[in-house]
Amino acid sequence: MSLDILVQVLLSGLLLGGIYALVAFGLSLVYGVANILNIAHGTFLAISGVIASLIYAATDWNPLLIIPALAIPVFAFGYLFHATLLRPLASRSKHDETIGTVLITTGALIAMSDITGVVAGTNQRNIPVRSDMLEFGEVFVSMTQVWILAGIVALTLVLHLYLKHAWFGRAVRAVTQDPMGATLCGVNASRARALTFAAGSGLVAVAGVLYALIYPVDPNMGFSLTVRAFTIIIIGGIGNLAGAMVAGVMLGVAESLTAFYWAPKWAPAISVVLLLLILVVFPRGLGTWRRA
Amino acid sequence: MTSRPLALAGAAVVALTLATLPLLANAYIVSFVFALLVAFVIAQSWDWVNGLMGYLNLGHYAFYGIGGYTFCMLLVAGAPLPICFAGTVVSVAIAAALLSAPIFRLKGDYFAFATLTIVPLCELLASNLSGLTGGSEGITLPPNYVLNPAYYLMLILTLATFVTTLALMRSRFGYAMRAVRNDEQVAQVSGVRLFPIKIATLMLSGVFAGLAGAIQAWQFSFIDPYTMFNMGVALIPIAAALLGGSGLLLGPLVGVALLTSLQQVLLIKLNMLQGTIYGLVIVLIGRFIPGGLLRWRTIANSAALGWLSRESHFEVPALRGGARSDALPLRADPIDASRKILECRDVTMAFGGNIAVRKASLEIRQGEIVGLVGPNGSGKTTLFNLISGVLHPKSGTILVDGKDISQFRPDEIAGLGIGRTYQIPRPFGELTVRECIAVGRTFGRARAPLKQSMLEAETFARFVGLDDCLEKRADQLSLQQKKVLEIARALAGEPKLLLVDEVASGLSTVEIAKFVEHIREIRDRYGVTVIWVEHIFSALASVVDRLIVLDSGSVIADAPLAEAMHDENVLATYLGHANPEVP
Repeated sequence: MSLDILVQVLLSGLLLGGIYALVAFGLSLVYGVANILNIAHGTFLAISGVIASLIYAATDWNPLLIIPALAIPVFAFGYLFHATLLRPLASRSKHDETIGTVLITTGALIAMSDITGVVAGTNQRNIPVRSDMLEFGEVFVSMTQVWILAGIVALTLVLHLYLKHAWFGRAVRAVTQDPMGATLCGVNASRARALTFAAGSGLVAVAGVLYALIYPVDPNMGFSLTVRAFTIIIIGGIGNLAGAMVAGVMLGVAESLTAFYWAPKWAPAISVVLLLLILVVFPRGLGTWRRA
Repeated sequence: MTSRPLALAGAAVVALTLATLPLLANAYIVSFVFALLVAFVIAQSWDWVNGLMGYLNLGHYAFYGIGGYTFCMLLVAGAPLPICFAGTVVSVAIAAALLSAPIFRLKGDYFAFATLTIVPLCELLASNLSGLTGGSEGITLPPNYVLNPAYYLMLILTLATFVTTLALMRSRFGYAMRAVRNDEQVAQVSGVRLFPIKIATLMLSGVFAGLAGAIQAWQFSFIDPYTMFNMGVALIPIAAALLGGSGLLLGPLVGVALLTSLQQVLLIKLNMLQGTIYGLVIVLIGRFIPGGLLRWRTIANSAALGWLSRESHFEVPALRGGARSDALPLRADPIDASRKILECRDVTMAFGGNIAVRKASLEIRQGEIVGLVGPNGSGKTTLFNLISGVLHPKSGTILVDGKDISQFRPDEIAGLGIGRTYQIPRPFGELTVRECIAVGRTFGRARAPLKQSMLEAETFARFVGLDDCLEKRADQLSLQQKKVLEIARALAGEPKLLLVDEVASGLSTVEIAKFVEHIREIRDRYGVTVIWVEHIFSALASVVDRLIVLDSGSVIADAPLAEAMHDENVLATYLGHANPEVP
């Protein structure tokens, strides 16, 4: 009996961790390629989740349809956001650039949360899909969970294969390692940065829909997700997708176990404590393959 | 340009207005100014860490919350007010000290990432440790109208903050912070011990923010996790400091005044979307003026407002006695050729599988000028990094005057009297030439007081020919000037051994000849031993006593100049074999 519960808890931890990993992928790519400390990253998820639940409430669409309906506009929004606000900072000194990104993304966080709160209300909402339950002995798995898991796996695979084999994916990795060298080899680094920022935003929109399928979302919850994503990429290594996946799942499982066996209120502390502990022992993160 | 009396008069008027405000204005105005002062103390104390020391601490607001909580917990427990404030100071100082250990292992953006987690962690602790903090219910203080006393306390704290900022900008400690901000490694090899500076700065900044939190909590008479650790609010003092101009004396003040006023106007004029407009204003600042308003050209160049943007640099006292002397203020060591000033025994250094220095052994005697040559990648600069403590050898020992220093920190080695320059000059770009040299002097073996160092810096600048740009910022110098500034900075620390890394490339023949004379003079007149890495052989040939040749990390020749020049190994390394084997 207790083993069944453990399996159930581990499963929900796995899902949560998978979604965290998707959020972290976006942040990791954006930081690795474009060198942008995007404090509003989690807010993109929160707002996508809110919009997704509004769309669902209004149209009753299948979430599979909501995903592209949301990801494509968010991708475009991300591209514009980068092109108009962040790209011009690249010509400044390193320190001014960091400060500029902190200001812009902080301001965007405040503004976006506020607008969404005014338009949609600050209450928590979700996507209340009904789904069948599968039974494995005493363990119950909903079809929604299966779909989410499949979505996480598919996205991770696509992203991995794209970065590894596609021309543009290789260009993105080249820019991560050495922007100047990549530019000299014919990569348009500034375009790579803008598209990566857009892709990171689109990815987070997908994660937002998946998140809203199992957890409530509200316009002001974004920052705590940004913190988790930062934790994951520091643990997993910046620009390292496999590391982020492992760290994300670790974090999700640890949070679920804490919430179930100790107290839900302590679950959010895991990421921060883990981060500080790891920093004490490994100041450069666990899986850094790139010198920062 | 303003004169000092005018600035003092202005400050006096502001101070007097603020001091009499509760008598003149209604409670609304007083509480508005109170909020402004709180924001100023948070923003300014944050800027000590960012603007002066160069670390972007996104978790500063946590100190404010910790201060507020400690104060309220003590007050509710029945402690008298002074004890409550003292307890606040102690608890925030401890929190800052504990945090320093993990977070200062990180640099740059990683530091910012890590500090971002501090406020959410504190919010969680405050909500969850309900036995101690009252949980999400918060703590309600006994009802008591304390706006005016709180206002006066806050005014005193504000004044203390401002005075501390002034003092930091002018003190030896402050110059250590600014050196760290500009180039941590160069600060260290100039003799600045990093960790105490960092921990003390974080503690100082935390205590001021914590006291602001305590006074604010006292005035509110209610706190909960949301008010004290609200992440939506946490970054706003930072945005304010950046809006004004981080690192400038008046930057945080101007930024806070503008942003707090804007917030008030929005609150009054609008009943929705205040956050949006507020956020957009911050976005626009970041997009168009990330150096801050006061660094905006329109303001910096305007006659009326230019004084606001002035950077803080050492001001030379107008009148001072004493004839100008050309002699460098260095203790001349009598030359004693039997003294082994440096000895390397089987020193090995590897980066992964790449062995940069391989079992290198060498001896340098006091008063020698030794040339260190070798092809690119032969390990010359790595050897310098090992001697100056920037790197620690994998094996082998490095002795300075018979003392093993192979595990010493760079600042300890600088204190023993080893100075170094960098091949690609690394001046403290935001400091003036005078200040760069003075940093070397006050933290190096010389350990001269700051003011004396600032004055003596002139002699060193004159020695290398920089006396006409003493008050110029170092990042505005030409490459040649930066190179000689490296020498002046290193020499000012009063080294007994000077490591000179490739100075001549890029200099004209005349400049090289002058430079060779400098090297000769510092040895002949002041007894400084010199190891000189150089590719331009003619420069070396005219001054060195001995030549050490490195190839692939090994010492392949160590002989007097004439002998080394005819050594077969050396010729082979540089020119190929004299008699190549014909297959």
